[in-house]
Amino acid sequence: MIVAEQKPLNEIKTMIADAERVLLVGCGTCVTVCFAGGTKEVDLLATSLRMSTKLDGNGKVVDEFTVQRQCEWEYNEPLKEKLDDYDLVVSLGCGVGVQTLNEQFPQKQFVPGLNTAFMGLPTEQGVWEERCAACGNCILDKTGGICPIARCAKQLLNGPCGGSQNGVCEIESDVPCAWQLIWERANDLGQIDRLMELQPAKDWRTSRDGGPRKIVREDLRLVAHEEE
Amino acid sequence: MEGDCHYLEGNLNARRRVEYVSKLLEEIGLEGQRVRMINMSSAMGAQFAQAATDMTATIKEIGPNPLREM
Repeated sequence: MIVAEQKPLNEIKTMIADAERVLLVGCGTCVTVCFAGGTKEVDLLATSLRMSTKLDGNGKVVDEFTVQRQCEWEYNEPLKEKLDDYDLVVSLGCGVGVQTLNEQFPQKQFVPGLNTAFMGLPTEQGVWEERCAACGNCILDKTGGICPIARCAKQLLNGPCGGSQNGVCEIESDVPCAWQLIWERANDLGQIDRLMELQPAKDWRTSRDGGPRKIVREDLRLVAHEEE
Repeated sequence: MEGDCHYLEGNLNARRRVEYVSKLLEEIGLEGQRVRMINMSSAMGAQFAQAATDMTATIKEIGPNPLREM
């Protein structure tokens, strides 16, 4: 899932400073599951903003709405009729959600209420860890299902660096060395020999180095686009 | 008592949540002392009365919730 966390209240207050009527829009998908921007968090933030702006002497109208998935046009349609009532909208979706809303409803400004952090999983309740960097060329088959791009601080492809001590990365005592994990996993799978194969320098063009990425599936596109 | 809960670690989880609410109140601009968690058993009547007295004194010192007057 996409993992995000709420921006500090003061930062959000600064963003909405010039607006009188504000709508908070949550997202019912990833950010609900990571407790950052679902209905409950929208409710809590709206209440906090109402109270805080009132205490500041410029109480604002802060209303709430949550869509199932901000990153798809059709789920945002119910928002359309509400937007005229507000000066500004704070999206509690990920960065994709915020941009989708700005693109879909250009007559209104949508600002981010969250900081989108990474793609990962909850390793225990209340703890999320990064697992995928969306590099665009998956090599998990070669590394026993453990990603050195997302989990090695140096994104090394051919084993650990000198900063790996007793299975821990030098950057932080609670960060395991990805290559230690990869080695142990390969050992468990009886595939140590596969790690001996030298990996060439990674082609980063499929990642951010190639600019914004796009996937086109002609088999899924509708005929209408050819007539445009 | 703390850590000794019918729901196992329930009151330890509750303590962290109360601390979160206290910080949230501060962030909003209210006093964090307006919420407090105290552990005691059902047999601690005197301590309960004292805790209630202490909390009342704290709230009187802070004053009424300014949001109610607005």
